Amino acid sequence: MIEPLKVLIVEDEALLAMELETLVQDAGHSVVGWATSLAEAKDMVDTTQADIAFVDIHLTDGPTGIDVAEYIGDKNSMVVFMTANPKRIPDHFAGAIGVIAKPYTMSGLTSALRYLQEGVRRPPPTSERPAGFTLSPAFEMVWAPAA
Amino acid sequence: MDWKRTREPADAWHMTDDLHVEQGKGDPFAAAIRATRMSMIITDPRRQDNPIVFANDAFLRLTGYERHEVVGKNCRFLQGPRSDKEAIAQIRAAIANETDLSVDILNYRKDGSTFWNALYISPVSNDKGELQFFFASQLDVSDRKRSEHRITADKDRFEKAVKERTAELEAALEAQTTLLHEVDHRVKNNLQMISSLILMQSRTVSDENLKRSLGTMLERIEALSTVHRRLYQSKDVSRFDVSDFARDLISDLLTASGRSEINPTLDLEPIVIPAEKATPVALMVNELVTNALKHAFKERPDGTRSGSIGIKMSQPDGHLNIEVSDDGVGMADATGDASFGMRLIKSLARQLRAEIEWRDAGPGTRVVISMPNGPQPKGNQS
Repeated sequence: MIEPLKVLIVEDEALLAMELETLVQDAGHSVVGWATSLAEAKDMVDTTQADIAFVDIHLTDGPTGIDVAEYIGDKNSMVVFMTANPKRIPDHFAGAIGVIAKPYTMSGLTSALRYLQEGVRRPPPTSERPAGFTLSPAFEMVWAPAA
Repeated sequence: MDWKRTREPADAWHMTDDLHVEQGKGDPFAAAIRATRMSMIITDPRRQDNPIVFANDAFLRLTGYERHEVVGKNCRFLQGPRSDKEAIAQIRAAIANETDLSVDILNYRKDGSTFWNALYISPVSNDKGELQFFFASQLDVSDRKRSEHRITADKDRFEKAVKERTAELEAALEAQTTLLHEVDHRVKNNLQMISSLILMQSRTVSDENLKRSLGTMLERIEALSTVHRRLYQSKDVSRFDVSDFARDLISDLLTASGRSEINPTLDLEPIVIPAEKATPVALMVNELVTNALKHAFKERPDGTRSGSIGIKMSQPDGHLNIEVSDDGVGMADATGDASFGMRLIKSLARQLRAEIEWRDAGPGTRVVISMPNGPQPKGNQS
């Protein structure tokens, strides 16, 4: 049994944050906080211990998800973007593992959680990469090198 | 006309004598040069500063000078402040190198007015190859130059107008693209919200039938979500790869149902359909696969309901063929929600002008959908 993940949710839509929290908990992980803006996210990153953050690109104070990712990256935590507009993510992914494209499906997200749990706890992940999940070029090299 | 008897300055008399002697062509040749409407001069490079030694009447008419004013002078008096420096340099070089030259240059008349001169200069040598004269002809091409200038000005104006219009159109396209991304973003977010609402609601429901019903609804919404997620991943938003969709859908449905004992067999050609057909095709495939998952496999003594589900997509001659098959118990009973599912499939088939057929595959069922699909675009879509 792999140790569950402590998850930070950075998402401006309350409903989506609620659902994500439910799905994260259902999968056996815990949610350590929910932030809706860059400032809240920074505060939460400083005061909680999260293994991984799910970060929407567009937050209440604009497209600041990228800044959130960079801030978290400096603290040596992992980031996964969740966005309906993956084209807004810079080529370097701001250090993030990858992106879960919205709209995701319930099982798509559950599979992504399992994949990420393996990747964070026992890299590289062994389960199949879920539909709707894209790895960043940097993590592609480490987690899924071409045979 | 006997040109020897016309009144000329002394130099010109000698000159015409010289010409007569050197060319040895006799009077008719010289007379022709004197009388032609083409302006012509001859200069003598053996004399100091290469002066004009002969000028015909046409030259005098063109430039407005009297003969005595030009003969004995270098022809640079035709140049003025607006004469092109580059053209002047070319003339100098041609004289120095004793070569032919054809050049357009702006020249000045005696009264200060200007004309465009299509100047032709050619060295004339004797039998021994020694340079004797320069022959030069002048043609007034002011009209041609004017229309050239007008054409250039028109072209510049036209190009400027095209540039401005292009910039406007590019800005409009940019705005439209931004708008499309914004709308796409909202559609995806709203689909995500709808899924979330159904999911959260179904968790609070204890009635098993109601829970199942909400579950089926969620599957259908999620099929739409998968379409939309896939639709804007390609560069061409008007085309949709239906086989990529099928791969996502089957892995999603198998994971969601936790039915790891079901073995999917996929035989998928890459097939692109117009975006407007994406949703009905996706919903139809979703219904057929979920139907098979729910009803085709009977529980075995060990409690599992194993089997395999196949999706095959091919496109023989302008048609899209989709086969969804299982090796289960055969035609499922259409009850409750399944009957709505069946109506949905048939209505979508009608919308797509698709023919749909249920076949007994013994064991299991094979559903074959065949619909017209246009020619495939060339090149990679993603």
